[in-house]
Amino acid sequence: MNSHQAGRSRDPAWRKADRLLLSTGRRGGLWTWWLALATLVSAGAEILLPAALGRALDALPGGAHVTSALLVCAGLIALMVAGKVIGDIATGASNARSTGWLRMTLMRHLVAIGPAATRRFEPGDLVTRVTRNASEAGQVGVTAVMVGAGLIPPVGSIVALALIDPWVGLTALAGLVAMAGLLRVFVRDNSETIGHYLHSQGLIAARLLDALSGARTIAAAGSIEHERRRILQPMRGLREHGMRMWRNQVRVAGQAAVIGPLLQLFVVGVAGLGVVAGRLTVGELYAASRYAVLAAGIGSAVGFLNKLTRARAGGRRVAEVLTEPVTPYGVASLPASSDKGGWGGRLEFRGVRVSAAGEPVIDGLNLVVPAGATVAVVGRSGAGKSLLAALAGRLTDPEQGRVLLDGVALPDLSREQLRGAVGFAFERPALVGDTIEEVINFGSRSRTQEKVRGAAATARADTFVERLPQGYQTALAAAPLSGGEVQRLGLARAFAHPYRVLILDDATSSLDTVTERQVGAVLTARGVGQTRLIIAHRAATAARTDLVAWIDQGQVRSLRPHAELWRDPNYRALFGPEEGLAEPPTEWRRVPTELVAVST
Amino acid sequence: MTATSNTVPWILFGALRRHPRALLRLAAWSALEVLPLLLSGYGVARALDDGFLVGRPGTGLVWLSVLAVAVLAGALATRHIYRILAEIVEPFRDDLVDRVVGGALQRSTVLGGRPDSGAVARLTHQVEVVRDCFAGLLLLTRSFVVTAVAAVIGIAALTGVVGLLVLPPLLAGLAFFVASLRSMMARQRDHVLTDESVAESASTVVHSLRDVVACGAEDRACARVQREVDAHAAAERTLARMAAVRTLSVAVGAWLPTVGLLVAAPWLLATGATLGTIAGGLVYLTQGLLPALRALVDGVGIGALRLVVTLDRLVEAGEHPVPARAPLPQAPGGHDLVADGVTFSYGSHAEPVVDRLDQVIPEGQHLVIVGPSGAGKSTLAGLLAATHVPQCGEVRLGGLPVADLDPQTLARYRVLIPQEAYVFAGTVGENLRYLHPAATRTELDAAVDALGLRSVVTRLGGYDAAVDSGMLSAGERQLVALARAHLTPAPVLILDEATCHLDPVAEERVERVLAGRGGTLVVVAHRLSSALRAQRILLMDSAPGGVNTVVSGSHRELLRTAPMYRDLVGHWMG
Repeated sequence: MNSHQAGRSRDPAWRKADRLLLSTGRRGGLWTWWLALATLVSAGAEILLPAALGRALDALPGGAHVTSALLVCAGLIALMVAGKVIGDIATGASNARSTGWLRMTLMRHLVAIGPAATRRFEPGDLVTRVTRNASEAGQVGVTAVMVGAGLIPPVGSIVALALIDPWVGLTALAGLVAMAGLLRVFVRDNSETIGHYLHSQGLIAARLLDALSGARTIAAAGSIEHERRRILQPMRGLREHGMRMWRNQVRVAGQAAVIGPLLQLFVVGVAGLGVVAGRLTVGELYAASRYAVLAAGIGSAVGFLNKLTRARAGGRRVAEVLTEPVTPYGVASLPASSDKGGWGGRLEFRGVRVSAAGEPVIDGLNLVVPAGATVAVVGRSGAGKSLLAALAGRLTDPEQGRVLLDGVALPDLSREQLRGAVGFAFERPALVGDTIEEVINFGSRSRTQEKVRGAAATARADTFVERLPQGYQTALAAAPLSGGEVQRLGLARAFAHPYRVLILDDATSSLDTVTERQVGAVLTARGVGQTRLIIAHRAATAARTDLVAWIDQGQVRSLRPHAELWRDPNYRALFGPEEGLAEPPTEWRRVPTELVAVST
Repeated sequence: MTATSNTVPWILFGALRRHPRALLRLAAWSALEVLPLLLSGYGVARALDDGFLVGRPGTGLVWLSVLAVAVLAGALATRHIYRILAEIVEPFRDDLVDRVVGGALQRSTVLGGRPDSGAVARLTHQVEVVRDCFAGLLLLTRSFVVTAVAAVIGIAALTGVVGLLVLPPLLAGLAFFVASLRSMMARQRDHVLTDESVAESASTVVHSLRDVVACGAEDRACARVQREVDAHAAAERTLARMAAVRTLSVAVGAWLPTVGLLVAAPWLLATGATLGTIAGGLVYLTQGLLPALRALVDGVGIGALRLVVTLDRLVEAGEHPVPARAPLPQAPGGHDLVADGVTFSYGSHAEPVVDRLDQVIPEGQHLVIVGPSGAGKSTLAGLLAATHVPQCGEVRLGGLPVADLDPQTLARYRVLIPQEAYVFAGTVGENLRYLHPAATRTELDAAVDALGLRSVVTRLGGYDAAVDSGMLSAGERQLVALARAHLTPAPVLILDEATCHLDPVAEERVERVLAGRGGTLVVVAHRLSSALRAQRILLMDSAPGGVNTVVSGSHRELLRTAPMYRDLVGHWMG
């Protein structure tokens, strides 16, 4: 244990965690000091009280000093209670401050890292770090105080017992050792049973999840009762292991009910013999019996030690994220929009390389997207189309080479300049906002209602939004949205702000053909001045753009209009059957012959 | 608190009332369990006064031995008490699991229901919280009652009527605590809810990091989380004040009587009490009453409130009784499906998705519904299948309103296969027979071969082999669901984009096989090619501005008369 502990503190990850915990503890501010003071006072009063009570008992028969002895007792009780009350309040305040600070530090760091954070950590894991781990680590100040103060009553009691009488002290010590052994056995025995219990519970949960995924089928088949029986089948195992847990509990509770009180009786017996022998007074005997109880409280001090370990582990998990580097931004601004009414928006890739899992996906890519042009990016799946989209708006940085917007390297731009100039729409947009209106407004800097409605109309999202219970004010959580509808809201969000460059990463894939066509017509409308980079899987989409950038083997294989490229069978094959059997392009090729036959 | 909170105490009461004999035994064993405490002060007093203080160690040790025997008897009682507790609490847990499962199924199968993502947390976490807290609460309140009674009796036995003076402060402490309970409950609930909001907002931002950065909305995203973090911190501080209230309750209820006894001690001694009786009285107060009151106040203050808050949420998310539908008055006459003035919208302010629709789908017809997304195709499928209930008008099957049929009866006449195919962990055969448990092996073979599922069944290892959804591709899952539909004798089949993960060849095969099965086939088309196979096509269109149009006809008719249809077809041609 000791060498392990020492190894831990030499580990740089633990050192970082400890430094973080130190700052976190400090955030508790004055409240933590109040807590320390209050707890010390109350623990001190608690440890002195039995002795004072004993004194009072001894003073009673003579009558001398009785009043002062009683006043001391009452004063100690008052101090103890006051200390606990102040401690309670300070605990809450200190924890709240430390935890809040830690959570927000972590959140700000996460958004500063950007999407790279979820490439290094699972999203669910990150949420756990923000919620549970930060809250555990946030209690470090309070817990450290409690570990120190919590040890005072039990340790002080053992000392007090030894001071009262060595024999009494030894008796208590022996009893405590027996108790500790018992607790260890219980922890070992019970963990296995708990494991079985959790397993049965997991079986029920898995069956339930299954059924929830088939809710519509179950609703239509009227088979809820049948499903309920199926899901609850593992219940028998749950009962069996549940009862076994209780049997363990019965044993421990029975032992605990014997050992503590017997220990106390032994102490009283030994002390009683001391009274007969004239070594002890009645007051000391009473004090000894109280100290025996307080000494048994060492278990709860150990509990605080466990909590400190948890705080440290939580701190380490938070520190791990905080050591990830954030995305740095520059201070440069973009050149003003051209006077011809265009917005600028010339995008240039120079010798760009990006790897995934050690293999270069994009390697030495050069591409110029002219200002105001609509350019489709095509290529077989895995060619790096989405990566190119991410590079164009600096959602990721290249290992080598540069990406420039209107002549300025993206990393030189300030965050406001960059995000105000480049907008995105994604295949699966993540929607943030309390209401639909907020969702559409999320990236926009102008917040007029007309802009929101206009953007929704452009994205063909207006019809279904107006059908929602409260229209644009409908809470996002209460809106039942299909994949296509989510995609249209993502598009509306991208349309709500006049970006120089708009990047659409497969952003119309879930739309049905008619809507896709309508949105596509907006996207490819000429003379708007906005540069558009469209990652496309459908030939029809590519056909409507000015130029097609064909990505192959990590480079731009060609940058020409769709009609010219279409003559190349290799190009046509990009939209062929290997794109996936269920993809519309297959339809697109197959159906016409039949239709032509019907309509002529 | 919400309206359902009234039912929480009722549920707890019900869980107890179900075991009247267990409760009686619990009371009896509790009386024995408190015996060591009841004797403790008195025994210590006798051991001192008759033994150690008068130089008779033997008598002192005998009294202590008596106490030790009482301790052993008490421990025996403790073991029994835990067993009885298990008898009461375990069935309660079973009941909760059943409620959670029923509620999750119910909620996700009603109209507009969504997969209940919280159900698993309720099952694995919240049910256990309730179970532990319920057991703890039973144990604590019972223990406090017997301990308090024993302590008061013991003190009275030692010091006479004067001992009853401990009662007023004890009751005052309890009253103070009880009075603050309601507020404590509200604070505790705030604490739980704000904690969940923190998790929710953090989760939203973490899952949207790409979008947050792409929108340059880092500050807005953090502000959303900050709002919840601040609310949680405020709730935590308020909750801490409640802990202070609990400490004060204990101070008044247990420490005040102790001080009182000390103050009265000189007077008690003067009126004939001994040192032993005073020491014994202190034992009752500091060893009996104080720990029992502290455990009660902390247990109720934290555990019981947690119990009520959590159980309240379980009840909210649990099953709610639905009015049973009257049994079918008669069998439907034929199987024509008729929509008569059907209007449906997803909310009172929302524009109707389906507006005064009249349609007759004669028995045996192969109808395909087409239209742009958002036109209400799935909604119409739901209305025809009676999983959606129209606000106006009605759908009739063979002359009977489908709304009057209970789900099981309805399932005999029509089958709805939705887009998301349901395959559960079980055998292949169980999955295939889901809608028609009586299907024979020969029928299974026929369906599997007809739909092209043979290679999948062989790969899995036959009908008795285990399967779960993870072992099949999306298309294979859909084939399993479609094979189910093929096996049922139901005269009406409704496919709601049920073939969207199949390739066009497989889709065509499925549609031809199901159309050739004899009954009515309604297909919500994912691809326009489905329309080419239909006897009749229903075109739904949602024009902006809320005018919904529905036209129907053959492929040729629609090409001639419906510009929207021409647009769809033309677009498909490229």
